[in-house]
Amino acid sequence: MDATASPRRELVDGARQIAPVLVGTVPFGFVAGVVAVASGLTPLEGVALSVLSFSGIAQLVACQLMAADSPVLITIAAAGVVSLRFLMYSAAFSPHLAHLSRRWRLLLAYLMTDQSFAMSVKHFSEPGDARHRHWHFLGSALTLYVSWQLAVVIGVVAGAQVPASWSLDFAVVLCFIALLVPAVRTRADLAAAIVAAAVALAAAGLPFRLSLVVASIAGIAAGMAIELWRKK
Amino acid sequence: MSHWLVILGVAALTFSLRASFIVFADPHRFPHAFRQALVFVPPSVLAAIVAPGLLAPDGAIALGLDNPRALAGLVAIGFAIRWRTPLAAIASGMTSLWLLQWGLARLG
Repeated sequence: MDATASPRRELVDGARQIAPVLVGTVPFGFVAGVVAVASGLTPLEGVALSVLSFSGIAQLVACQLMAADSPVLITIAAAGVVSLRFLMYSAAFSPHLAHLSRRWRLLLAYLMTDQSFAMSVKHFSEPGDARHRHWHFLGSALTLYVSWQLAVVIGVVAGAQVPASWSLDFAVVLCFIALLVPAVRTRADLAAAIVAAAVALAAAGLPFRLSLVVASIAGIAAGMAIELWRKK
Repeated sequence: MSHWLVILGVAALTFSLRASFIVFADPHRFPHAFRQALVFVPPSVLAAIVAPGLLAPDGAIALGLDNPRALAGLVAIGFAIRWRTPLAAIASGMTSLWLLQWGLARLG
């Protein structure tokens, strides 16, 4: 990276570096749009959910529960549980953004996603001039935002036309696999994933998809236990 | 009506979680155990979503040949480990599922 990177240069670099990721996020956004309509949301509701929450996982979980007519609070809570990772990203990002105005921080928080976080956290920790690196984050995050919303709109419009025999709902599970595999980096991560998977299957009979919450907590506990045991 | 309540609630919650430390709080003021727990949120939550989607797609656990999603999911996991791009998992998984469904329809 150039030692005297200008805001404009950072913005363009960020947009350029995130481009390969769109190969995964655009089909994911399309599926999120299809699923919204298939779950009984109107096209306007499907697009509003996406524009306001800008999180594929939260959108899909909310749609799944709305399709099952779960109570409003349970639905919101489940989407919150799957979004807890944002707390972790937010904590990791905050030192790099502490010098910015409140307006900048609100904007960047709103646009933060798994992909732009992963890329920008790497960029922020590189040596050299860091003054304008938030522009790099803005470039990647805005590129993701615009392409995601377009993909969702196309999915919402196309949703009614895709026949059920294509099993497009399976693409949702595959998107989660694509996120899960790189998230498992250590043995403790693996233990967390295996325990969560087992509990999710064992607790599948619980109402309102509470199994997701129970399994997540069990997985987190297993990961922490392994970590503690390893340090002894 | 309830759809809009969910939409606004999910929007407010996802934004609050994203903004938490960036805008409002200092992460160093939170206990170490809390920050460590957050590290395990992605693998736990994602595995808890994936496992039933593959092994119990209709609610009950199904490991037999009548559940092509289990095998297609394994293929996708293999491709994702080898190639690390989202497209590898999605393309290999969908292709496997379609081939298996087509094959099962021939057998049946």
